[in-house]
Amino acid sequence: MIDQLLSVSTRNALSKLTETVNQGSSAGPAPAAVGQPSFDNVLSQLASSVSGKLQNAEAVSMKSMTGDVPTRDVVNAVMDAEQSLQTAIAIRDKIVQAYLEISRMPI
Amino acid sequence: MSDPLQAALKVAASGLSAQSTRLRIVSENLANAQSTGKTAGSDPYRRKTVSFATELDRTTGVETVRIAEVGKDTSAFVEEYEPSHPAADTRGYVKYPNVSMVVEMADMREANRSYEANLQVVKQARELIAMTVDLLRNS
Amino acid sequence: MQGIHLFDLASRQAEWLSVRQATVSGNVANANTPGFKARDVEPFHDVLAQSQLTMAATNPKHQEIDASGIAATALRKDAVTEQNHSKNTVNLEMEMVKSGEINREFALNTSIVKAFHRMMMSSVKG
Repeated sequence: MIDQLLSVSTRNALSKLTETVNQGSSAGPAPAAVGQPSFDNVLSQLASSVSGKLQNAEAVSMKSMTGDVPTRDVVNAVMDAEQSLQTAIAIRDKIVQAYLEISRMPI
Repeated sequence: MSDPLQAALKVAASGLSAQSTRLRIVSENLANAQSTGKTAGSDPYRRKTVSFATELDRTTGVETVRIAEVGKDTSAFVEEYEPSHPAADTRGYVKYPNVSMVVEMADMREANRSYEANLQVVKQARELIAMTVDLLRNS
Repeated sequence: MQGIHLFDLASRQAEWLSVRQATVSGNVANANTPGFKARDVEPFHDVLAQSQLTMAATNPKHQEIDASGIAATALRKDAVTEQNHSKNTVNLEMEMVKSGEINREFALNTSIVKAFHRMMMSSVKG
């Protein structure tokens, strides 16, 4: 997931948004460039991977309480979940910020 | 047990108290190992023993320990031939306390070991409580 | 909403661990009491399985229960490896081992709860 994000940097996403605004069509997502994942695809993948990691962390934690799981596994799973959650939150904040900034631009 | 961790602390504290009493008795025995009587034919210091008992604590529902009684060792006194001693009886024998250094030292080591174990329990119970309260702290 | 399930389980495990700690504490304190039998708690898995109040009488004259039904039971006969002449079955080394287990599980439990609480808080903050 991290590598997908790296390939679609924040600036890239912002440029797509400005493209959309310049073309004057605010409805519908910008057409994806050939060979590159579209922004909304990346977002939905991000959301599902975060949710998957969270569920895994929760499952491993509950298993460690009722049974025997190597401690490192539990710690790794929880750390993973936290990392992806924080990343997703940071991206969400950036997107909201970017959108607000764009919406303030005089047409 | 309304709070098991507090109960654990209480029990461990009773253990510490009991073991330190035991240690005190051992040092009394050691200190008086040579204490004879004052008058002719009189008895010397008699060795003391401790016995433990479990006590169910009503409020917490845990079993604490206490010293049931400080008793006397009824074994025979050691007799030494010392006719010139003020406590010598008609035959010239002086009665010395029935305290054996070896036994007392072994008892002292055991009491120490038990004391340390109880101390470990106190430390651990305190740590567990601290970990729980720490959940509220800002991470 | 599934996160709530986790917190509930963690809370129960913490309680079970505390009861176990109290039991170990009782064993260590009574290591020199004649006739005292070392005790341990039922495994957590079994405690979860019976969600209602249970009473395990170790001595018909006195029963020990707590609100959540975790009952301390006497060690089974086959688990007792030694018994000295005063009929005391406490083994201090085993109690220390149990203590270490409790410590590890408790630390993991509180850390997990802290981490998930943190995640929940950060995702809720605007």
